[in-house]
Amino acid sequence: MNAFLLMDVGVPAAVVIRLVAVAVTLVLARRVTASRYVALGGSILASILTVAVAISVLIGGSSADGLLFRHSASGIALSYSVTPLSAWFLMVLGLIAIPTAIYSMAYFAHSVAPARTAFVGSAFNVMLGAVELVFTASDVIMFLFAWELMTLATATLVATEHEQRTSRRAAYLYLVMSHVGTGCLLGGFLVLSAAAGSASFPSMLAGNVLHGLTRDGVFLLFFLGFAVKAGIVPFHVWLPEAHPAAPSSVSALMSSVLITAGVYGLFRVCAFGLGVPALGWGLTLSALGTVSAIMGVLYALTQTDLKRLLAYSTIENAGIMALGLGASMLAMTDSHPALATLAAAASLAHVLNHAVFKGLLFLGAGSVVMGTGTRQLEQFGGLLRRMPWTGLFFLVGSMSIAGLPLLNGFISEWLTFQALLLGFHTTPGFSRLNYPLSGALLALTSALAAACFVKVFGISFLALPRSPAAAEAHESPRAMLAPQAFLAASCVGLGLFPGVVLNGLSSVLASLPGLQPSSLMSWGGLEMASPSQFDHVIPAMFGMALLGGLLAAGLLSTRTRFAIRREPTWGCGGELSARTEYTASAFSKPLVMVFQAIYRPTRQVETLAQVSPYFTQEVRYRSEMEPTFERYVYGPLLRAVLGVANGMKVLQAGSLHAYIGYVLALAVGLMLLVWWRG
Amino acid sequence: MIPTILEGVRAFGLAILQAVLMLTLAPLLKTLIKMMKARLQNRQGPPLLQGYYDLAKLFRKEAVRSETASWVFVAGPRVYFAAAVSATALIPVLISAAPLEVAGGILLLVGTLALGRFALATAALDTGSAFGGMGSSRDMTIAALAEPALMLGLFTSALAAGTLNLGALVRHALAQGVTFHPSDVLAFAGLFIIVIAETGRVPVDNPATHLELTMIHEAMLLEYSGPDLALVEWASAVKELLYLTLLVDLFMPFGMATGTAPLALVVSLLAWAFKVFVLAIAVTATESMNAKLRLFRVPELVSISLGLAFLALTIRFL
Repeated sequence: MNAFLLMDVGVPAAVVIRLVAVAVTLVLARRVTASRYVALGGSILASILTVAVAISVLIGGSSADGLLFRHSASGIALSYSVTPLSAWFLMVLGLIAIPTAIYSMAYFAHSVAPARTAFVGSAFNVMLGAVELVFTASDVIMFLFAWELMTLATATLVATEHEQRTSRRAAYLYLVMSHVGTGCLLGGFLVLSAAAGSASFPSMLAGNVLHGLTRDGVFLLFFLGFAVKAGIVPFHVWLPEAHPAAPSSVSALMSSVLITAGVYGLFRVCAFGLGVPALGWGLTLSALGTVSAIMGVLYALTQTDLKRLLAYSTIENAGIMALGLGASMLAMTDSHPALATLAAAASLAHVLNHAVFKGLLFLGAGSVVMGTGTRQLEQFGGLLRRMPWTGLFFLVGSMSIAGLPLLNGFISEWLTFQALLLGFHTTPGFSRLNYPLSGALLALTSALAAACFVKVFGISFLALPRSPAAAEAHESPRAMLAPQAFLAASCVGLGLFPGVVLNGLSSVLASLPGLQPSSLMSWGGLEMASPSQFDHVIPAMFGMALLGGLLAAGLLSTRTRFAIRREPTWGCGGELSARTEYTASAFSKPLVMVFQAIYRPTRQVETLAQVSPYFTQEVRYRSEMEPTFERYVYGPLLRAVLGVANGMKVLQAGSLHAYIGYVLALAVGLMLLVWWRG
Repeated sequence: MIPTILEGVRAFGLAILQAVLMLTLAPLLKTLIKMMKARLQNRQGPPLLQGYYDLAKLFRKEAVRSETASWVFVAGPRVYFAAAVSATALIPVLISAAPLEVAGGILLLVGTLALGRFALATAALDTGSAFGGMGSSRDMTIAALAEPALMLGLFTSALAAGTLNLGALVRHALAQGVTFHPSDVLAFAGLFIIVIAETGRVPVDNPATHLELTMIHEAMLLEYSGPDLALVEWASAVKELLYLTLLVDLFMPFGMATGTAPLALVVSLLAWAFKVFVLAIAVTATESMNAKLRLFRVPELVSISLGLAFLALTIRFL
């Protein structure tokens, strides 16, 4: 296909394919298998098209613009524009959407009720189509329409199992918080378009439209709107409820892709669309990013529900993306384009890397949940014997998210550290100490993430099964394993060839105002280097050294006189069973005790005795850890709102005379107002 | 710059030589510390070559593995060993350049040690006994708390020299001559505490205990035997030597050879051995004069280290 033809029709063709897929799926709703294949097959086709467009834009460096829809009578024209920044996010979307759709072909067959398959399949397509439109929208109406459609489609997917109260509550919470965010976005867009005199992005986001306090206020509105979607603390409370409630492949998409819609907005509007950022903006973003990273991983450590744990881990990674972007904005305030470019590159690289390993982990979690029938970590154990491939891919994902070298998590972590340490050099005075401290906190989060995923992998896959569900777990079909294999291979590939990521980013960074990619790092395929030789890393070379070490270990340990003997584990003289194994809560208990001031756990122990207190019959133990923001921010906020609403109940006394009286008072008041003004 | 094939082969050759040197001398360091501790306790202590005898014995013995263990249990010691050995290629020992310094600096070094720890901690959960889980949990907790202090301490030296590359850091220090900055004392104290924590010595962990209440690192090794145990013990000894060499590189690199002249190498070897010996005496003194801390007092110790590193940073740059 000619490249120009692809760029011209790629995006509209993808939209049309998705619409057709949705229509045919709903028509074929009674035929479950057919509707599933149509929905997911159409999704794969559309994703391939958008990835192709995205990659050609990234290679070419210039945007692909076009018209989606024009109604000549009313003059309504919906246009799209694939800028390099949009192309990066579209590529990430497609990279995760294609394996997830392949995975879902088998997953939906086993885990979604047949009557709902058509509905879930079409909502899947609508959600992905809406996200693609968000990334490619070039005017306000298109953007808000796509944003709202994305929210609604996701909410319906979250509420798939609506007979369960938790799913309903999760979907409701997600809708309410998203709509508050969308309201803020609407307000910001209204002010911005009024000031710019036009509703198209190129003129609105040129950077010279607003000034002073208005600009700060608009930044705050946009930040609130996008931070809710990205899951930045303190607007993250919907994430741990909504992500686990959706089917696992949809959770993978939500964590990898929908979060990036918020990050895309932060990049497009807050950082690069309102002119040179003010000091407070970068500080807000970095501070909230750091807090998100730490709170996210701390709460992930305490979870015993596998998908909820992964959701909190998403909050942590969203915080790291925000930290990178905040550092970039601070650098732009101080006019350091080299540092700004490095920090922005770190944030964008983390968008890609997080999508890959989080997608892999969620797909693995889906396999585990499907194989065992439960989401509770405390019920797993010994799954590596029953599900060897899922276990292997989950191990690769765990090592990536822990930031271990040779995998892709290390790459974006390395880039973020470079940005923070370079920031130290370029900032004079007392505030320069922020940077090494942020670096230390980033090191803390990555070490805590490593501890968390040792726990998850070790408790789920190793040792003895803790429940009959785990003892009889079954491996997933090959259609579900192949996408996980692809994502695991991507983790390793991106880790060994980091230059590929940076090369892809060069056109994105060149298109953003105020950045200077050419001043930066040298990036051959295999290496990364930071400016002025601050640091230099070649993962592949070190990988060879590690292989050499493994070879040495193998050589040293093979020439044994005796064969390996297998014996039962010593159970201290008693029976070794799953009861003597370590549990997930026990594993994270030391960290809970160290960080008690943040967790504030409450504990209640009751001993019940009938005859005498010395002969206890029953001991009841209750431990609770209410997350900080729910207890100290949202709880009081909710109570205040309900209190005010209760207080205003007196107005609705039910008496018709009172209501007529209100209307009369209002009419008289308005007449007085008009007379006074006139 | 990606090195040419010839440069790459030379680098790997030097890396292998340096790894062999570290592997050879690591058991000697471990036994030396044991012997000095024993003498301080009015005992005689083991002969200096006991470390080698132990390793040789373990490699000859039969490996007994649990029925519940999978390939992760077998891979754990090997990955731990590979991580420790390949990390030695990233630090300068005898010459003022690390063999694989083009492949990575401080961040890759810390990451590699984290990889080894991840592998060992995960493998410890594989046998199904509570000891492994306990050791794994406690070790990951202490590692998580020690990591920010370690990073901040390393960053102080790195930011002062303007590079995260250890070879370049040492060359910068050598070029400046014998200088002393008051922040060095604080940074050294902070990093010394972290070295104690990471190598599992009193007051953080007791390397000679197998009591459930007191073991952290040993709990992870409890189920290994034969060659598996030999690999882990050897790798732990190499890690100890690596950390002490890192302290030497950062704070007292004088005497290091700047080229590969044989005389300079001999002088460098003697200087390095002497400095590591002095640090070993410091480790022995710390172990003998302190009692092991309760597990939940270790965060306080680590936060002292963090505070010292932060003070060093402030004094140096403000």
